[in-house]
Amino acid sequence: MTGISRRTLLQAASGAAALNVTRSFAQTKETLTFAAGLFAEAGRGDKTRAWVDKFNKSQDRYAIEPVAIPFSKLADTVFTQMGGGGGPDLIRFDQTDFFAAVPAGRLFPVDDLLDLSKYKFQAADKFVKVDGKRIGIAFETANYAMLYNPALLKDGAPKDFDAFIAAAKEATGKGKFGYAYRATMPERAGFWFDLSNYVYGFGGQWGGNGEPTLNSPEVIEAITQYKRVYDLGVIPKGADAATYRRMFWEGKIAMNVDNGGVGGIFSAQAPDFKFDAAPSPFPNKAQGITLTMLAFNANSKKKAAAAAFIEWMLQPEPQAELQLLLGASNVATQIPRAEEELKKYPWVTAFDANTPNGQPFLVRSLESKTLDFQQVVCENVLRCLIGGETPKQVMADAQAQALSRILRR
Amino acid sequence: MTNPSSHAIRIALILILLSLATFPIYWMVVTSLTSSANLFADTPQMLPDPAQSFNYADTFKHTGVLVWLKNSAIVAIGTMVLSILLAILPAYALSRFKFRGKGGLGFVLFATQMLPEAMLVVPLYAIFTNLALLNTLGGLILANTAFTVPVITWILKGAIDGVPLEIEEAARVDGCSRLGIVLQVVVPVVAPTLAAASVIAFFHGWNEYVFAQTLVSSQELRTASVGLASFVGELSTPIHTVMAIGVMYTLPAVLFYLMVQRYVVAGMTAGSVKG
Repeated sequence: MTGISRRTLLQAASGAAALNVTRSFAQTKETLTFAAGLFAEAGRGDKTRAWVDKFNKSQDRYAIEPVAIPFSKLADTVFTQMGGGGGPDLIRFDQTDFFAAVPAGRLFPVDDLLDLSKYKFQAADKFVKVDGKRIGIAFETANYAMLYNPALLKDGAPKDFDAFIAAAKEATGKGKFGYAYRATMPERAGFWFDLSNYVYGFGGQWGGNGEPTLNSPEVIEAITQYKRVYDLGVIPKGADAATYRRMFWEGKIAMNVDNGGVGGIFSAQAPDFKFDAAPSPFPNKAQGITLTMLAFNANSKKKAAAAAFIEWMLQPEPQAELQLLLGASNVATQIPRAEEELKKYPWVTAFDANTPNGQPFLVRSLESKTLDFQQVVCENVLRCLIGGETPKQVMADAQAQALSRILRR
Repeated sequence: MTNPSSHAIRIALILILLSLATFPIYWMVVTSLTSSANLFADTPQMLPDPAQSFNYADTFKHTGVLVWLKNSAIVAIGTMVLSILLAILPAYALSRFKFRGKGGLGFVLFATQMLPEAMLVVPLYAIFTNLALLNTLGGLILANTAFTVPVITWILKGAIDGVPLEIEEAARVDGCSRLGIVLQVVVPVVAPTLAAASVIAFFHGWNEYVFAQTLVSSQELRTASVGLASFVGELSTPIHTVMAIGVMYTLPAVLFYLMVQRYVVAGMTAGSVKG
């Protein structure tokens, strides 16, 4: 050998081996990756990381590594990784993505990890069970209500839909808008949530008894009203949700039907901003609930570590801390709100009051097909909003496409 | 002689095109230096407010932007170097040698450009899992290189086609080996094209998102494209931070392009005139 002597080589090899031994002693904790859009959230992301860190400090054997993936990219990224045989160990899934992952066999039943019979779960817990098996934990549920800026509504929160339309018109002008919602394909999931609130609020459902009901009179009425608001010029067209929420806390938006987590964002980002919440102004009280599930990747081998984290997070103290940091959301188990929280965030009660009327943004009885329905419905509603076709026509087309493209009939 | 009025029209057109191209970058800088109160003001703020430069200090302090930029630079430079190294010899072979299946090989190389990254990312993920290449910048460099080598091979082949055979023959007469001819004779002649190809490879590695998001989950190994996107939250997006990181993410790439711009233009036009 030239240049490097055998002795030098041996010394280098033993040095590397020594380094390896040191490292293996230093890294005794088994690390689980936990992917969530929440970790990327301004305001709540850092607090959630700090909450996860409490678990890490409490453990000798396990640690959680948070993986922030943008909300809109989470499902694509994680499904791709799962398809390739890997992916994060724990995932905080949105309800539609969760139900898309279940039939594909990508999630490991939580029941098989640990015994959860001792915990008192929230009502929304029923949605995480499929065929009697608990597939995930309801990490966060958030009800919907109408957030409003009292400074922009001289008569206070509108009590019905006509009053809402009148108030939105009156509040619009001079750089301010009466209302805000989503109506673009890049925000398809949020667009679907906003549409669903109108559909539920006007007494409709996307499906039932194994059949889509996209062209039912209630759904058509809901889409008609959605278009009415769109055509009134009271919304900042094209603004994405992150932008119009910021506009809200900067006093540019009067009303916004949104979930309780958004109220938490307002409080965190603009502590001096005065806002309130009231029931959504629709004829029916039914509204959607944002449901995010903590699920365990079937590809992961770290079952004991996952069980340890779930066991820890379901304890009263971590649950109470999580509920507080999430804003007006509920966590997996029943945790009463502290007096201090209610005093600090009085608007929370409007969200909590709607718990009995909450339903997931899923196509009833066709839950696992919800993502496909989202695509068909949003595409067709856009034809009516932008293309000028009638709600009746586009929803008839959506129904036909759902039957042929999704259900293959 | 140029007509003064047509000259003025040409200048005006260039200025309009230049404004259209640079305005988004200018707006990014302005937004990153606008106070929260003015962000949605009725009259948009058109000039940056230097008093808001603390947005940048906050971004450096509270985000991992420097690590992300370092990772992006490693991936971009790695992709560029590896792509050029791997593309030179096949480009030379396609240009100079006659062999069975040459046309088919060229077509296959070309066809790889028709496959979107998103289609290949699942099998690539499975392969990378088996090869322990997940969560490594080396793995990202390999994945990006796989996409840039075909197009660079074609670009270099076009440039080598334009190199007179007589130069190579003279080198051979002087006793130069075939590899020596490629490295010492052909490569210097096609250097401008190499620079253009390097820019393509560098920008592919610098901007790439799908592989970087899917093949790397470790926070320490994130590239800037993924780090930037991670601020787009479910409920809100910190616009100042995103714009400040956007500026920092754009600047190194712009500087790199300015450095090699001269060669790129020469490379683009190389071979356009024969004789």
